Amino acid sequence: MKRRGDLAARWSLAPYSVWALLFILVPLVFVAYYAFTDTDMHFTFDNIRKFFTATSTVTGDNGETLQVRTYMVIFWRSVKLAVISTVVCLLMGYPIAYIIARATPKVQKTVITLIMIPMWMNFLIRTYAWMTILQDTGILNNFLASLHLGRMHIIGTESAVVIGMVYDYLPYMILPIYSIMAKLDLKLLEAAHDLGCNGISTLRRVVFPLSLPGVVSGVTMVLIPSISTFYISQKLGNGKFFLIGDAIEGQYVANNLHFAAAIAFILMVILLIAMALMKRYTDKSVAGGV
Amino acid sequence: MKMKPASKIYTAFIFLFLFAPIVILLIFSFNASKSLSVFSDPSLKWYRELFRDEETLRALQNTLVLAVTASILSTIMGTAAAVGIHRLRKKYLKAAYDTVTNIPMMNPDIITGISLMLMFVFVGRLFGLSTSLSFWTMLIAHITFCLPYVILQVLPKLQQMDPALPEAAMDLGCTPVRAFFRAEVPEILPGIITGLMMAFTLSLDDFVISYFTQGNGFQTLPIRIYNMTKKTVTPKMYALATIIFFVILALLLLTNLVDEDDSRRMKEARAQKRAARGKPPRRADSNKRSLAIVGAILGLTIVIIAAIGITRPKPVELNVYNWGEYISDGSEDTLDTIQAFEQWYLEEYGYPVKVNYETYASNEDMYAKLKSGAVSYDLVIPSDYMIARMAAEDMLVPLNYGNIPNYQYISDSFRGLYYDPDNLYTVPYTYGVIGVIYDANQVDEEDLGSWDLMWNEKYAGSILQFNNSRDAFGTAMYRAGADVNTTDHAVWDAALEALAQQHPLVKSYVMDEIYNMMESGEAAIAAYYAGDYFTMIDAESDNVDLQFYYPEPTNFFVDAMCIPKGCQHQELAEIFINYMLSEEPAVANAEYIYYASPNRLVYENEDYIDEMGEETMEILYRFTDDFSDLFNRYAYRNLDQETLTYINDLWETLKIS
Repeated sequence: MKRRGDLAARWSLAPYSVWALLFILVPLVFVAYYAFTDTDMHFTFDNIRKFFTATSTVTGDNGETLQVRTYMVIFWRSVKLAVISTVVCLLMGYPIAYIIARATPKVQKTVITLIMIPMWMNFLIRTYAWMTILQDTGILNNFLASLHLGRMHIIGTESAVVIGMVYDYLPYMILPIYSIMAKLDLKLLEAAHDLGCNGISTLRRVVFPLSLPGVVSGVTMVLIPSISTFYISQKLGNGKFFLIGDAIEGQYVANNLHFAAAIAFILMVILLIAMALMKRYTDKSVAGGV
Repeated sequence: MKMKPASKIYTAFIFLFLFAPIVILLIFSFNASKSLSVFSDPSLKWYRELFRDEETLRALQNTLVLAVTASILSTIMGTAAAVGIHRLRKKYLKAAYDTVTNIPMMNPDIITGISLMLMFVFVGRLFGLSTSLSFWTMLIAHITFCLPYVILQVLPKLQQMDPALPEAAMDLGCTPVRAFFRAEVPEILPGIITGLMMAFTLSLDDFVISYFTQGNGFQTLPIRIYNMTKKTVTPKMYALATIIFFVILALLLLTNLVDEDDSRRMKEARAQKRAARGKPPRRADSNKRSLAIVGAILGLTIVIIAAIGITRPKPVELNVYNWGEYISDGSEDTLDTIQAFEQWYLEEYGYPVKVNYETYASNEDMYAKLKSGAVSYDLVIPSDYMIARMAAEDMLVPLNYGNIPNYQYISDSFRGLYYDPDNLYTVPYTYGVIGVIYDANQVDEEDLGSWDLMWNEKYAGSILQFNNSRDAFGTAMYRAGADVNTTDHAVWDAALEALAQQHPLVKSYVMDEIYNMMESGEAAIAAYYAGDYFTMIDAESDNVDLQFYYPEPTNFFVDAMCIPKGCQHQELAEIFINYMLSEEPAVANAEYIYYASPNRLVYENEDYIDEMGEETMEILYRFTDDFSDLFNRYAYRNLDQETLTYINDLWETLKIS
């Protein structure tokens, strides 16, 4: 009996194994292959070297000329904006996940569905709508002006890009945290209360550690897409600065496939290392839970 | 537990944030004008137009077909995989599968997209296929990025399940397969359903991976929207978004009505009662409900697909690849020239033809797709310098002008231009000149007349610059009197310096965003293509007074129809070209696009002249007579790859300052 079960299990895994090999692993080999070849498909380090050494002359804040490494600047700006967006998502998303998880099941279901609805409407269109809101003569500024609060210059700044990313990826933060919190045993909270914890220390010492797996997957699901986006920065950043996604897309459109692959390859390696480190630092049980 | 007031306020704040842009879309979908920043009059016209717009409906259908197929297939394969992974005994194998499953989630979309594209293109070349990307490559890509989400939803449910359950079922005489479906599936169904929904949602909204893996004959909604970036995103899309929103909302309300009592306590009470009576606990309730929702959504989707699908498929297909919003498509009571062609062809030749009309955002996008061998089209409409490049790289087919008698109406000014000196490959479609658009309410008269306006510090923060490198560098080089086609790096360096100097004055680097920004008075100065100025005037806000002039020298461009190598229906494409040159469709296209036409049937047509008005005709056609001289002197030429790469690097430099 048992043997037959195992056999079935092995067969059930077969299609996925083939698929994963062909369409997950092999394509990554192609990224590496293109990253280390030139247009004649000869082996070269030039693409990788260009990423780390290409320099640009820019004008600094005080009018002085500076030599900077082009892709390092682009890369660090992407990392910075992605980290800020992730932190903002966490700060905004965590409380709402907590609130939802403690509501009645019916309210829970409704609120979660409402949070998911925006994801069903095309994100390019939604980002487009944010331009209307954040423009200097846009809805937000007209509203502030009508309250005599003055105007804010947001569009075209890094803040506008962060707003766009937070908006697009917030549901990815809320949902995994919520799904972990919804499973938390209420008795634990009561026990903590009985043992003298007030609301905040219950949150800090009981709820937060238990919800950590959700936080980790939420952070991953926000950080990864926001580090590589190229549409949001084009639209809400007024095209004033490049992120790493813009650089890859730009090289692809400029027909420099090999350099595009090189940037992608480096980004991939860095992210895989970062994720491996993150995984090591958090609980093992995290791996399975989204 | 009841929500506290503070919680309620916070929840309201989050919802305000999440729904603000959706409310904007909803409001502006009822706007009579095209603008997304100036509301003129309420109107339902974009909804009417949406249902008449066959291409958008087809894109919607494609999006849904892809999402349904990808989510179902990935759910089946993913569930099977989860079961298999769960039963693995060896630790290292489990860890290996864990890692592989996590890769598509840990990799940014852009890497997944590029990696699959590189592989498909490579394999396509290996087998000498004319097109390596298609519906199937897109489906593979979508299944690939959906799979991990399904697996990671199902796996935890399997781990929570009592391992004795399937064994018990088998002991009771079930075959392993039967035991799986009867005992295990009900246990893990919530995970399967969530996985399915996640896959569906992700596939529906994906843009990046689709962008890199889309082939011809199959364009999805996000890609269609992205390709509208040279012209403006049509409000039909807001109407579509609004409809989608209400359909989902209705579904949600419906399922909530069906299911009245759902509180956990009641369920527990019921379960206790059942237990007291010695009956097994019932878990089918919530499963049934979730299944009903999923069934309703899938059912509705299939109905929509079928409803749109009635118009397809037809035998001969002509694949046309053009700029977004670059043909008269029947909106706002114009002539749908593609549909008109299909009708005309049926009457003329007695059998039907189907035009697959797809769009791109830029010359470079189109070139990248064609060059990689990923797609094949029968007709493309690139600009001059790109035509020169494609001709030089042997990517174009010489036309048989015998099939295009209407070519006689093309004015002599547009023959023998540098990109096609012997008139072998091209039939001009539109032409234009770059000019400066300004808001007379914000800009003083004495500052007008030259390119210097775009560098005038008085207007810091109100200037728009092109967000494509060639045109942006062009403004700086025309201003300096430099040759825009030089291979001399020093000249390009000087242009970069000028652009860097301009950077602090620039409000935004734009393509389609220019419309909203100029119409609303958000910006005061921009260089753009002459015809688009008139589109902006139509939607300008009351306190804005847009005006226009040509600086000297400036850019002249021609977009021409050509047939790329690898086309499937050359003769049909030529018949299509000829049809587009005939009076009615040519006038309709010229009126829709607002660019100048090289076709005498258009610019000598009385109705067209009336419709455009004197001022418009003067601006659009000012250079018709000496066009070929000006064009051959000032137009962009094809640059070698080394120079292009150099410009691209400079462009990146500008974008990091």
